[in-house]
Amino acid sequence: MSRKWISTKTTAVITASLIAIGALGVISPAKATIDCTNASADGNGCTVLTVNTFGDVIEPALVSDYKKLHPEIKLSIKKSDLDALNGTALYTQCAAGGAGNPDIAAIEISYSGFWRAYPQCFTDLKTMHTTDGNKTANDIKGQYLPWRWDQGVGYNDSVIGIPTDVGGLQVAYRWDLFKKAGLPYQRDAVSAAWNTWPKFIDFGKKYMAKLTPAQKKANIGFLDNVGTIYAAILNQGTQKYYQNDGTDAGKLIYKSNKQVKLGFDTTIDAGKAGIGTRIGQFSSDWNVGMTKGTFAAMLAPAWMMDYIKGQAPDTSGKWDIANIPGGGGNQGGSQLSIPKGAKHKQEAWDFISWYLAPAQQLKVFQIYGLFPSTPSLYTNADLVGFKDPFFNNAPTGKIYASGVQKLKPIFEGKLERCIDMAMGSAISLVVNGKEKVPAKAFAKGLSDADKCK
Amino acid sequence: MSQSSVARRAPKPPSPWKPVKQSRKLSNPNAVVSLNGRWGYLFTAPFFVMFLIFGLAPIIYSVYIAFFNWDALGTQDFIGLDNFTALIADDRFWNAMVNTFDIWLMSTIPMLVLSIGLAAVLHNPYLRGSTFWRTILLVPNITSVLAIAIVFGQLFGRDFGIVNDIIGALGFQHIDFVQGTQSSHIAIASMIVWRWTGYNALIFLAAMLAVPGELYESASLDGATKWQQFRYVTLPSLRNTITFVLIVGTIGGLQVFAEPLILGGSYNGGDSGQFSTLTLFLFDQAFVAYKWGYAAAIGIMITLIVAIVSVINFYITRKLAGEKK
Repeated sequence: MSRKWISTKTTAVITASLIAIGALGVISPAKATIDCTNASADGNGCTVLTVNTFGDVIEPALVSDYKKLHPEIKLSIKKSDLDALNGTALYTQCAAGGAGNPDIAAIEISYSGFWRAYPQCFTDLKTMHTTDGNKTANDIKGQYLPWRWDQGVGYNDSVIGIPTDVGGLQVAYRWDLFKKAGLPYQRDAVSAAWNTWPKFIDFGKKYMAKLTPAQKKANIGFLDNVGTIYAAILNQGTQKYYQNDGTDAGKLIYKSNKQVKLGFDTTIDAGKAGIGTRIGQFSSDWNVGMTKGTFAAMLAPAWMMDYIKGQAPDTSGKWDIANIPGGGGNQGGSQLSIPKGAKHKQEAWDFISWYLAPAQQLKVFQIYGLFPSTPSLYTNADLVGFKDPFFNNAPTGKIYASGVQKLKPIFEGKLERCIDMAMGSAISLVVNGKEKVPAKAFAKGLSDADKCK
Repeated sequence: MSQSSVARRAPKPPSPWKPVKQSRKLSNPNAVVSLNGRWGYLFTAPFFVMFLIFGLAPIIYSVYIAFFNWDALGTQDFIGLDNFTALIADDRFWNAMVNTFDIWLMSTIPMLVLSIGLAAVLHNPYLRGSTFWRTILLVPNITSVLAIAIVFGQLFGRDFGIVNDIIGALGFQHIDFVQGTQSSHIAIASMIVWRWTGYNALIFLAAMLAVPGELYESASLDGATKWQQFRYVTLPSLRNTITFVLIVGTIGGLQVFAEPLILGGSYNGGDSGQFSTLTLFLFDQAFVAYKWGYAAAIGIMITLIVAIVSVINFYITRKLAGEKK
């Protein structure tokens, strides 16, 4: 469910391979002997459900749970890169009348605004009924955060996607490195010390001042990439590039929205302060840097916690999670949809409604750290009381819940992804020293965004 | 086809659809009836059918949609030449063009020099295991571009890449290959050079083997050194091959796509488009911005550019060859 922005490029692009997941579950004698582990096509009582996804939307532990419940269903999961999946594949499949559609497609939040404009490409989930309990999308709507739900509602009010996780956004930091630098390092003290973005930048400057010349020469820094600040600030407002004017499409306001300028300016300030290492996220340097302490802090959506654990297992216990400056944050999250050309709509709907129900979302959070989109869990003792030893026993559930609850609903429009790319490129121009005048870069960002129309 | 006088006099080639009456007009039993009429069409049909469906039809279609604001899932509005005028005014297009030519130059020239050099080494009759070396030259060429790009992406990593380890050991500041404009072009060009040098070396080797041995004999009788033989015998006879390699290299080089895609990990060609190429820009417009008409216009421009550059290449190399004759 992660927003792998710059994408786990390498692996994702090539290994768009079919991954058969899941150890053989213990099959209860009553359900008897069907085994679809190696099924590659329908038949012999097996149904192969094709799922096109990216990152960690579909988690293996839950897949093997589902297998125990439904041994007759084989989930054939194909992972690919975000743009390749949400852009190229779905778009061309829909243009070809649904040919080649998978049974289930994951749609990332930065594309949800886009797909809302093309509900004809999806099955209206209001018309689907679960096999157990006869539930439609309308019946389960109440379980989810309303603004997350709305991101999956098409222009014609059909429901095209059910929300998976909420990104949430906090700061993951290396408390041991903070301590070494003589800075506050306990999570409450850290959260208090950087409760605004200017204070965050100052904090970073103090960290940088403690670095030795050799460390600076080795590109060691405070934050992995200052570019991430832009999106964080944008999501703390009430609107981004669009204003919700009651129409389906919304009204483009990126030129007049002060939040866009604020995000841009603050990011440039951070860049000028030199607190970032300028490593591209999801690059090989970034992955290695996590282990080696090349950076001491990174803005981390909930799904990032599992990524850090996977990349830097040796740093267990040295990380902690503090509140994001400015209060509240979100990055990433996705929806599960059933494209129009899906062949097993009923089985797909049964799986989606099971997989995204609160009980399963809680389990995903406990194992993988992805934060649930079902508010009933935000007061659940298992979630609020959850402590993660990797992150110095931080109560991650509580921290992310408080951040998510501060969020205001934001209207996501059709050109979201394209405008994001244009503004990100403008920021990069300044941060990497290719454009000395920030105002010029900002103007270029806006004019490139104009070309998205 | 053995065209006997009998066959030439035959008024019509026999129809492939009707049984041929063998006895008719066959005064010479050894003559073969010309079958290259309709049978020829039939035998070449598979290629042309495929070409029509997957080659010509998409080309015509993309020329057509270049004049539209084309949303494949929504509306299609005819806008005349607007896509082209917008493209001429689009600085991203010119940026991609400059990048493409820069990468092309930086890859083509080292590749030509290296591959001719390699071919000369392989041409040495005293080389042991020459078949082995010739075969191994093709390995980079059959390696997946994606695999190459991943390995090179790690080699050129800023903090932990091997290239920067060496640069650091020599006492210099690490170079951020991906973020820099020129440095990212070097990284991409090195992938292309690595991949195509061996392939082109084999083409040059074939051309060198075709040079008559007498020329070398008489040259060495005249007291020419090995270098002089290479300079004045081998190189001049390679001119046509150089033209060929240059033109094929131009067509490929101006369409470089996978290398920058994997180096940056997305279609924008680096955070600030520092290594965005023409084809990457086309793809970005088609599948991130969903402007198919605009993307089609870019495609037409790429075709024109490749054609112009190839013609220039052709004339330059022909002129060079002509002067020396």
